[in-house]
Amino acid sequence: MDLTIAALLIGLMLLFLAGGLWIGLALIAVGVMGMLGFTPRSPGDGMAVTIWGSGSAWTLTALPLFLWMGEILFRTKLSEDMFKGLAPWLERLPGRLLHTNIIGCTLFAAVSGSSAATCATIGKIALPELTRRGYPESMALGTLAGAGTLGLLIPPSIIMIVYGVSADVSIAKLFIGGVLPGILLAALFMGWVVIWSLLNPEKIPPADIRTNLAGKLRASRHLIPVVLLIAGVLGSIYTGVATATEAAGIGVVGSLIISAAQRTLNRSNFIAALMGATRLYCMIALILAGSAFLTLAMGYIGLPRHLAAWIGTLGLSPGMLLVVLGIFYVVLGCFLDGISMVVLTMAVLLPTIQAAGIDPLWFGIFIVVVVEMAQITPPVGFNLFVLQGLTGRQITTIARYAMPYFMLMALAVVLLYAFPGLITWLPGKMIG
Amino acid sequence: MRTLLNALYRASGAAAALGMIATLVMVMTGVVSRPLGIYLRGTDDYAGYCMAACGFLALAYTFKHGEHIRVSLVIERLGPKMRRAAEWMSLAAGTLVSGALAWYSIQLVWQSHQFGDVSPGVDATPLWIPQIGMAAGCLVFFIALLDDLVTTSLGRAPHRFAHANDEPAHME
Amino acid sequence: QTAWDMPTPYPTSNFHTENIQQFVADIDKASGGKLKITVHANGSLFKANEIKRAVQGGQAQIGEIIISGMANEDPIYALDNVPFLATSYADAKKLWVASKSAVEAKLAKNGIKLLYSVPWPPQGLYSKTEVSSMDALKRLKIRSYSPTVARMIELMGAQPVTVQAADLTQALSTGVVSANVTSGATGYDTKSWEQLKYFYDVQAWLPKNIVIVSQKAFDALDPATQKAVTTAAAAAEARGWKISEEKTAWYLDELKKNGMTIAPASAELKAGLVKVGEKMAAEWAESAGPEGKKVLEAYKK
Ligand code: NA
Ligand code: NA
Repeated sequence: MDLTIAALLIGLMLLFLAGGLWIGLALIAVGVMGMLGFTPRSPGDGMAVTIWGSGSAWTLTALPLFLWMGEILFRTKLSEDMFKGLAPWLERLPGRLLHTNIIGCTLFAAVSGSSAATCATIGKIALPELTRRGYPESMALGTLAGAGTLGLLIPPSIIMIVYGVSADVSIAKLFIGGVLPGILLAALFMGWVVIWSLLNPEKIPPADIRTNLAGKLRASRHLIPVVLLIAGVLGSIYTGVATATEAAGIGVVGSLIISAAQRTLNRSNFIAALMGATRLYCMIALILAGSAFLTLAMGYIGLPRHLAAWIGTLGLSPGMLLVVLGIFYVVLGCFLDGISMVVLTMAVLLPTIQAAGIDPLWFGIFIVVVVEMAQITPPVGFNLFVLQGLTGRQITTIARYAMPYFMLMALAVVLLYAFPGLITWLPGKMIG
Repeated sequence: MRTLLNALYRASGAAAALGMIATLVMVMTGVVSRPLGIYLRGTDDYAGYCMAACGFLALAYTFKHGEHIRVSLVIERLGPKMRRAAEWMSLAAGTLVSGALAWYSIQLVWQSHQFGDVSPGVDATPLWIPQIGMAAGCLVFFIALLDDLVTTSLGRAPHRFAHANDEPAHME
Repeated sequence: QTAWDMPTPYPTSNFHTENIQQFVADIDKASGGKLKITVHANGSLFKANEIKRAVQGGQAQIGEIIISGMANEDPIYALDNVPFLATSYADAKKLWVASKSAVEAKLAKNGIKLLYSVPWPPQGLYSKTEVSSMDALKRLKIRSYSPTVARMIELMGAQPVTVQAADLTQALSTGVVSANVTSGATGYDTKSWEQLKYFYDVQAWLPKNIVIVSQKAFDALDPATQKAVTTAAAAAEARGWKISEEKTAWYLDELKKNGMTIAPASAELKAGLVKVGEKMAAEWAESAGPEGKKVLEAYKK
């Protein structure tokens, strides 16, 4: 029965999406059909309550503000400067400036708790510059889609808070536990860029003129504004000036200051950035609304819950259990967003995890990496949506570009399984 | 009629942008007031309401810029006749869904008022007030989709706002 | 067969949720499987703030809420949050008995029937630094999440700071807030020893959760099933009050085991806090009018 419902709803979703229905509206339509078809509840009132609740939640305010920050910075010389400063250092590394996407996302992930904000902000700054310099689109978009997901794994991270509360795991330990796996992922991504570039040297544009150390250091002065901005936002979090959510506001103010200092802050730029951010946020907000309602419908229908319970009855060995759960979350991740996945399944799965003797802290990081993979799988993958919004490319095209990074994350999961210390070592060093 | 409708979409977009500014102002007021030892009630909740107003009020404006994303891969490969039919179908379905969304959002405001639903936070805001932003935004969104559906039914191409020159966000 | 959805706000491991699972199992058994209730714990169907409305609007038939969550709607719900008024389980029970019919009447106006209540362990003060006197309170930035709590912090002479639950861990470790008022249970659930060192068992008040059902959904049941529900509710209430009280000491032990300093309030602090309580009770009576005065008198009898 559950499998029939699942197949039917998946079929419906693909039909709506292929028919060209706007994605957020398609999610709502599938939720409505699911509730009408398979529950005795009427979809209307719950729809409005849930969508209002998700659309007015305080923790979400960081997203529009970070998007706005990206739009402001896009209209400054910051990205040009950043590339001028970084280029001399990266000239010998195969793949050259493609690494700025990964480094930028990793740094920004330490500021933002969401994957969409990370992907959009760095994308807005880096994409035009990479395109102008002639870097291949597949690599520019792929690295962004992949590295953007680090927003979830490197603290602060909203999904870790959700998991920590559901699974009774220390949020502080989860945050610290995500640091090494985050660095591991970034290293894997950079490694892939190096390998790809060695295999396709003709596709990477030539370096600017070679410089000596003094020249490199002199060029680095261009990095001062971006370093100041990141230090300001990070600093505001770690000195207790702002909470992780409020840091986005600091980011917007900082970008306005940079924009003013570079004399790019005028009326038309301000309005263009503001309206651009408003539309980009609205595009994501409509999908978030659809996703919130689909989650409600799934809660009523009980599909994820039943599947999770069924997995619990299989009596698998810990290793097999993780393989099955990995596949389960990847499939679920094709249709639901990460937080919904955790909320809808943890209550049922947690006893199974504990019975199998899996460390809940380790499992939390495992889930975050799997949820990261879900950000770049079609049809519902938020980083794909963000990049489609930025570039106008088809989701399928972007998903194809992102495929290697999906595989690298799968590899990371295997590595984390083989070396659990990557997750548990740092939190073990904590006092208490 | 066209002028009037476009003015409606633009006004809604402008209100949304004010919502974005207000979100920033609320967040920063919270940050700045704390070290000063001033306790301002509910700036975080107000930030949430302003963000909601921004997201919902911008729906139609964003739609009219063609920036709500969708998968056009399949319908682009159809023949012109089939494609027109598919476009019409997705517009019709979209009008239906956004209509339901608008209807239930308006009902949400009404019910919140009837129930006396109040925010449990420090702000203690009667929730029907900020929910008006959602209802209004969804209603204008519905009008925009209906507008396109009617235009398409009449065999004309739906109107889209042009991008300003200073927004080279797209790669192509 | 009837199927109900039951949204609840707290994680599955929380004692309130465990009690609810037993309550639901009891109903299933007593009704002979005629009434099946699906528990959606941890805000997985509706968030804590949305649950009352979901029951009122018919999206869920039954649910769990915290009374003080409705404090902004009507003063009668705020009584549950007035500090230093009822600080022991016996007093909390007495206060609940005194106010129950008023709460029921208010809920009935929303088409909601009250099934049972279960208290949280007493609220204490968690702090990063030692708080031995009223003067030491003045240096604290205490997390506030509702108007009543904000008012209490102001009267204590400390600075209220609004921090949302999602930001709390970080806010505590970075010093955005330096203290927090909550129960031993929540302190244990959120592993507060990672950020906070002291727990002062000031027993400010015992907040209560209630399980509510839509009157319409309840009326639609046959009399035998209705009986099964109310019987299970009475059992859940008795069980919940008992577990809550028994667990109080256990929670404090766990906090101690994890390295927190557990201390009672000093005599000076206690006296100062009682004054805060008296002021707030008076303010509450003012806001609640004659109806409220009656409840308070019944309690003090
Ligand atoms: Na992050
Ligand atoms: Na996905």
